[in-house]
Amino acid sequence: MELKPIISVKDLHFSYKNHHVLSGINLELYKGEIVSLLGPNGCGKSTLIKLILKLLHGKGDITIDGKSLNNYSHKDIASHVAYIPQYNNTPFNYSALEMVVMGRVSKLDFFSLPSSNDYEIAKMALEKVGIENLRDRAFGQLSGGQKQMVLLARAIAQEVNVFIMDEPVAGLDYGNQVRLLELISELGSQGYTFLKTTHYPDHALLVSSRVVVMNGGVVISDGAPEDVISQQMIEDVYNIKADIIMHDAHRRCVPIFQQKREVF
Amino acid sequence: MRYKKEVKYLLIATALLILVILLSLMWGQYHIDMSTLIGYINYKLFSIEGINSQTFTLIDNIILEIRLPRVLLAILIGAALATSGAVFQAMFVNPLVSPGILGVLAGASFGAASGMLISENWLVVQILAFAFGFVAVSFAVLIGSMVTNSRSTVMLVLGGVISASLFTALLSIIKYVADPYSTLPTIVYWLMGSLSMAQLNEVVFVSFPILLSILGMIFMSKYFDLLSLGDEEAKALGVNVKLIRIVAITLATLASSLSVVMAGIIGWVGLIIPHIIRMAVGPSHRLLIPLSAIVGGAFLLLADAISRLALSVEIPIGILTSLIGIPIFIIVLKNARAVWN
Repeated sequence: MELKPIISVKDLHFSYKNHHVLSGINLELYKGEIVSLLGPNGCGKSTLIKLILKLLHGKGDITIDGKSLNNYSHKDIASHVAYIPQYNNTPFNYSALEMVVMGRVSKLDFFSLPSSNDYEIAKMALEKVGIENLRDRAFGQLSGGQKQMVLLARAIAQEVNVFIMDEPVAGLDYGNQVRLLELISELGSQGYTFLKTTHYPDHALLVSSRVVVMNGGVVISDGAPEDVISQQMIEDVYNIKADIIMHDAHRRCVPIFQQKREVF
Repeated sequence: MRYKKEVKYLLIATALLILVILLSLMWGQYHIDMSTLIGYINYKLFSIEGINSQTFTLIDNIILEIRLPRVLLAILIGAALATSGAVFQAMFVNPLVSPGILGVLAGASFGAASGMLISENWLVVQILAFAFGFVAVSFAVLIGSMVTNSRSTVMLVLGGVISASLFTALLSIIKYVADPYSTLPTIVYWLMGSLSMAQLNEVVFVSFPILLSILGMIFMSKYFDLLSLGDEEAKALGVNVKLIRIVAITLATLASSLSVVMAGIIGWVGLIIPHIIRMAVGPSHRLLIPLSAIVGGAFLLLADAISRLALSVEIPIGILTSLIGIPIFIIVLKNARAVWN
């Protein structure tokens, strides 16, 4: 049996006024994959994610589970795919648990309120990411890493298998970056599918089953991390030099610092 | 049970409202003491004897003709303004807006005054008030989004200030052309905010659309939590953002515009009540919206009762809510960081 992609993007174009952002993007996402989208600022990574979530409208075909995105309402999309945005603050300080319960809204009827069952699911989601102790804390007072964990728990409470993350480690401190990557890897091994954008080729090497590189609104490379992330690719895309080294059985990408420092 | 806490707060607020209702029925030029009031209620509702017929007739008159319409109107308008305020704050993800600040009250007063000028028909006045309330809030949003693309707290407030000034100026034109001996005084006193013109049949007439708007906003409240995260996040979580936003803004504008038709411009209630409730019970709109309705009603009723009790001259309620509202809002602003991060 041929494997069908969960998400498929074919010949996708998008422009803001006269500025072309995406031209002819093709991308497929299969069950169980962790796909990292790499590329410099302004290459269209975030735009692509927003198009898949129907937050923007472009030209081309996007399907989720074989059905065209045009036939999906936002409620339908939310019952297939969870979006984990870069955390931003709301002026209203909901508790972590309330934030996670909001992930349940696509399961509720127009007039119904979240039930005890919805709250149980939200608590289990908090436990799953290991932050049940933060349940009653105000979201606005959490650290960046904790906020990202709450948003991940909210995605889990949505009870879907596909997570789309926009720069998950942006703004997190060093420790939280690593902890979040470990958690993504752990959830990936439990069968969750991820599509995430990242600025770090090194993170893509650590936590991806496939890497897609974009530059100037097109996909320039798509394949296994070890094939895609090379010295040449880093130089082409980011205009810096980097070494790909082996460390503790992992390929790592280490940028080369050009400026020589005097040592006395 | 899941909503034990919510039910507890709603019961406390309702008890508070009932207490204020009883006080308002007792207080006034003719003071009715508690035992007489209870005797009256017992006889009226349950036909239990215990009050002589002469007293009954007198009290029946005072309560049905004067105090009850006023009590109902105060509750209705307080509830309408506070609920609309909470909804506007959620819809614009902006804790600094209210029907007053967004220009809705000014727009509605211009619409209602034009209505009074051209027609004797109440319905025309109400429809024009709503229409211009809606124009005013749309104008505020347009100005707020014209300068910056992103959602800016300050720009929207500024847009509201501009919109309110525009409709206040237009209203001045109407005042200028209005008959200085009949229409002008009516408009001026009505605009100061007064509950004294309440008549039971008018109150009942206007209460339906206001009550329906409030109920609609209560039923939609779970979506307000999501919309206050911003449009993209709400959409990605499965909310039909456009529909919810249009319906919610329409209902909030309707409720606050009709409050203007009935009682003029009553400021600050829509701004401070949601803040006070958020400080007390947290930001979840499932509780915030219904509590705003109850507490807003109780607040305006109490303010009205105090004005009648404490002062021999009746100060228009709109002036009084400003006098009470401003110090409360200053306290709120001081604590603002803790409440909105």
